[in-house]
Amino acid sequence: MLELLVPILIMGILFIGLPWIIFHYVTKWKTAATLTREDEDLLDELHDLARRLDERMCSIERIMQADNPNWRQLGCDPASLGAGDLGLGRDREAAGRDPLARDYGGSVQPLRSNQPDRRY
Amino acid sequence: MTPSRTKFYLDKQNKKFLGVCSGISDYTGVDATVIRIGLLLAIFMSGGTFLPVYFITAWMAPKKPTELRYEDKEEKKFWQGVRSNPKRAARHVRSRFREIDRRLADVETYVTSSHGRLAREIDSLR
Repeated sequence: MLELLVPILIMGILFIGLPWIIFHYVTKWKTAATLTREDEDLLDELHDLARRLDERMCSIERIMQADNPNWRQLGCDPASLGAGDLGLGRDREAAGRDPLARDYGGSVQPLRSNQPDRRY
Repeated sequence: MTPSRTKFYLDKQNKKFLGVCSGISDYTGVDATVIRIGLLLAIFMSGGTFLPVYFITAWMAPKKPTELRYEDKEEKKFWQGVRSNPKRAARHVRSRFREIDRRLADVETYVTSSHGRLAREIDSLR
């Protein structure tokens, strides 16, 4: 009796139970929320846009820093700046705390010191 | 049309054997060496039954298309984040936009509230 039952049981588990479980999870996995191609492209574009805006923002902040002595904010961290356009990527790390002092170099420095440090 | 960035590919460029481990590393962002050691451990622990899994994966998974190339590390990391958790990646992009908005608002307030360069120049003429 037992010898007859065991193979049937094993066959049942092996050929019905196991595929059942597998396909159950496969369908579950397939119906789960996935990114469509449109989503993917949209996300890519948004990410790219954010990066470009970030770079623009950084250059605006650098200009602000150069023009206004008491502009205190340093929003951009040196590593994520658009290093390519200035060719300063390597030196940035060395510049450390104040990358702007380096970026603008000597040309702006005298202007900065000439201006009275005043807040409007 | 660019190939999908959320699929699993074999990374043949950084392969050691068939590119499965480097593919997993590229997909998840975990270091390839860790994955290789983990795979070897799994093979030894399972007494070799894990080995076919490797070959089946290598046989089934497509090669990484050459058009699919990330511009830099940051982008690669971003897409690894998208694969593991798209919601969080989207929130991250949103937070970046908010950050830009905040910084721009700062600049705007500064420019509009101060008299700016002109006033300073008039002042210096006095």
